[in-house]
Amino acid sequence: MKTFKRLTYPYMLWITAMIVIPMLLIVIYALTKQGNDVATLQFTLDNFIHFFTDADFLSTLWLSLKIACITTILCILIGYPIAYLIAASTPAKRNLYILLITLPMWINMLVRTYAWIGILSDNGLVNHVLQFFGIEPQKLLYTDFAVILGMVYNFIPFMILQIEASLAKLDRSLLDAANDLGADRLQRFLKVTLPLSLPGVISGITLVFLPAVSSFVIPKLMGGGAYMLIGNVIENQFITVGEWNFGSAISMIMACIIMISMYITRKLDKSDDAVSRKRGKV
Amino acid sequence: MSGHKLLRRFLLGAVLLFFYFPILYMLVFSFNGSRSLTSFDGFSLQWYDKMFHDPNMLEAIYYTLITAVVATVISTAVGTITAIGLSKSRRIVREVVSQVNNLPIMNPEIVTAVGLMLFYVSLRIEKGFFTMLLAHIAFCIPYVILSVMPKLRSLDDNLADAAMDLGATPWQAMVKVILPQIMPGIISGALIAFTMSFDDFTISYFVTGNGVKNISTLVWTMSKRINPSINALSTIIVLMITITLLLVNLLPIIKEKTKTKTGQVWKHTTSIVALCFALLIGGGLYWLKSGTGNHMSSADAIARFGSDTLKVYNVGEYIDPQINTAFEERYGVKIIYDTFDSNELMYTKLQGGERYDILVPSDYMIERLLKEDFLQPLNHDQLPNLSYLTEELNSLSYDPDHTYSVPYFWGTVGIVYNKNNVDIEDLQKEGYNIFRNQKYKGRIYMYDSERDSFMMALKALGYSMNTDDEKQLYEAYEWLKKIVTTMKPEIVTDEVIDAMANGNKDMALVYSGDATYILSENEDMGYYMPSEGTNLWSDAMVIPKNAANPKLANEYINFILEYENSMRNTEYVGYTSTNGEVLEECSGEGGIYADNEAYLPRSGYEKDEIFHYNDKSRKLISELWTKVKIAK
Repeated sequence: MKTFKRLTYPYMLWITAMIVIPMLLIVIYALTKQGNDVATLQFTLDNFIHFFTDADFLSTLWLSLKIACITTILCILIGYPIAYLIAASTPAKRNLYILLITLPMWINMLVRTYAWIGILSDNGLVNHVLQFFGIEPQKLLYTDFAVILGMVYNFIPFMILQIEASLAKLDRSLLDAANDLGADRLQRFLKVTLPLSLPGVISGITLVFLPAVSSFVIPKLMGGGAYMLIGNVIENQFITVGEWNFGSAISMIMACIIMISMYITRKLDKSDDAVSRKRGKV
Repeated sequence: MSGHKLLRRFLLGAVLLFFYFPILYMLVFSFNGSRSLTSFDGFSLQWYDKMFHDPNMLEAIYYTLITAVVATVISTAVGTITAIGLSKSRRIVREVVSQVNNLPIMNPEIVTAVGLMLFYVSLRIEKGFFTMLLAHIAFCIPYVILSVMPKLRSLDDNLADAAMDLGATPWQAMVKVILPQIMPGIISGALIAFTMSFDDFTISYFVTGNGVKNISTLVWTMSKRINPSINALSTIIVLMITITLLLVNLLPIIKEKTKTKTGQVWKHTTSIVALCFALLIGGGLYWLKSGTGNHMSSADAIARFGSDTLKVYNVGEYIDPQINTAFEERYGVKIIYDTFDSNELMYTKLQGGERYDILVPSDYMIERLLKEDFLQPLNHDQLPNLSYLTEELNSLSYDPDHTYSVPYFWGTVGIVYNKNNVDIEDLQKEGYNIFRNQKYKGRIYMYDSERDSFMMALKALGYSMNTDDEKQLYEAYEWLKKIVTTMKPEIVTDEVIDAMANGNKDMALVYSGDATYILSENEDMGYYMPSEGTNLWSDAMVIPKNAANPKLANEYINFILEYENSMRNTEYVGYTSTNGEVLEECSGEGGIYADNEAYLPRSGYEKDEIFHYNDKSRKLISELWTKVKIAK
């Protein structure tokens, strides 16, 4: 068995170089000032203080969280019924639907988002249709609405697929049992289907919230050149401004936020697991 | 019941429409007869033609494919081997490695990207294809491991032992016993790796360099200007993917149906299909490679200049690509052409240790580069064409004798306005303050450039645009903030060019060269330089100290100054030529920009200024501008 164990060593080296060291570098950069070299490394919390004492950065962070939350909620509200319908279809249809939902995900995200620009722009398709019905043209592109639309468009397949997978695993006999015990449709859904599909919803939330809170591509394409979410601030610090230390600090803050939210969702998931396990015993 | 069915159909249909409508829209507009993305003007294949003749696009497709293929092969192999090793390792090892392995999956992509970028920079590895490939392998392996591990867990531990007891070597045990059992996991891992790599933007964006772009990063750089070639490219990708997926999904069905009759034949068909596919990808890569790497034998160039490649770093959409091709052909060299959006971005790249032979920064940035000792003097013996420079550009304050720089384009900054909707009297009376006139609320663009916006504000307030007086800068900040809070402006970058040419809004502050393009596209538009003064700017070619090929670089500068190339460039880009003869011809009677009020910069106006580099004001302006933008 020793021979097999050795197979892991090269990869351990590799992850040290390509995953651990880069993460450490972010931490080091975040905790130091610009222009330091290794010899004069001096640790400081200035970058974090700068971020947390500046109302503008805080409001950007707040906006990012808000947009990500709205996106996640919309994905659940739209994604759940769709997943439910797909899970209830015949197997052949189910496979077809899943293929149809995954297919767009194979197409480059930038390219798909780019297509919306033509549809939403000031004299784009939507506004032409509105005008045809005698409605004032609306400003759609470069708004919060456009950014949320872009995010829902890109991320909702993850939500649908996760929920669908957990619904498909659902034991039909539980529903029959509930039926026998006199539960009506609504009760069956609320007391059986919904709780049992929650793990799918929760992993869906992680898959949507995580990219939504950190994306800088969608806000830039759909929100316009000056639309700033926290991802854009990081990109800006690294690519344009060149303040890598401050950029690293913001990256660290973002990574922490993600870790915390993952931890919370995991907790939810676990407690739920415990509940269902208990139920199973009874 | 049928009501339910109807509702179900409707919901699913609506969501599918939502998914596919933009893709369909993109498909349709790839056949558009005009550049517009909003109105369809007849069927045409011109964008496909353009795409296949655009070396940048072909190169991007090539790099995307080769990266995806290589990254998939390597990460699948490494991932599978590691997963097998992990399954036999001690629990603690397994736990730790899995946790670290999960990091790139759990972390926001941008954090992984930034980490890798810092890693490469610290090791002083030059960014390019190799760094991109390594990064792709790095983020693909975790997905392979994740998809192989569950299969290994459900594998009977004793199988490998049994094989080895029966005399198999560990290698044989792995290949003959373990691998076949976990094949489904490996295949799905490889598929995930391929799509992750093929689609990746964020990580590639941070770790690539040296002109190496994949499709995503190319689309990103082009997304500010309308370019239906992107649609053409996307349509081809959509087609390829649809065909592949259809094949993958249909094959098992066909297999099932033909099995009974021709089981033997089928076996061959599968391998033939697989072979065709491999040939197709291989052939495609070969074709792309020969299409992009095509240049004359370069022994002569190496003998004359010491190298056969020239690395140019210029502003995006700032050259007629034919000029580079012509240079490549004449000298038998290859140009690696990279672009930037802003001087600041270029500076950051230089600081990151990237090496170029030619840069095209603006006046104030050249001042900064000179001050920080980034540039080397030009070799005037190689630059006989310097004499063609228009007189106005001699004795520029940042480099009066062209010791370090040769102007590339020049111009002013001014207001483009819709003559039908904006009262010229308002403009004349108010100057820049017209951007705060409630009459035009919601009808204006602001350009996302701290320098130009503060120039406008400071000029409007009657100050010098080169001030570093904090009080004046704060006043300018308030001036700009009031626009953002009361005028509902749209803050944009280069998308303003197509937007104004389309007539989307009534007013915008733009560079004269972009104004030239807007005016020639839309005759309702006019160009106005306020009497409060404006920025007289010039962008110039310089050679950095660490250039690998200064000799060839000097040759390139001389080449750009030639009459024919200057003419081509100004016709294509629309910016004001620095070649005196070309300038006269274009703006004079019968010239292509004869009636274009934006083309010829105003000269000798005392309130016009040239930007100077000032480290003190730079930081404050940059900070204040960020605050202006989020003041909404």
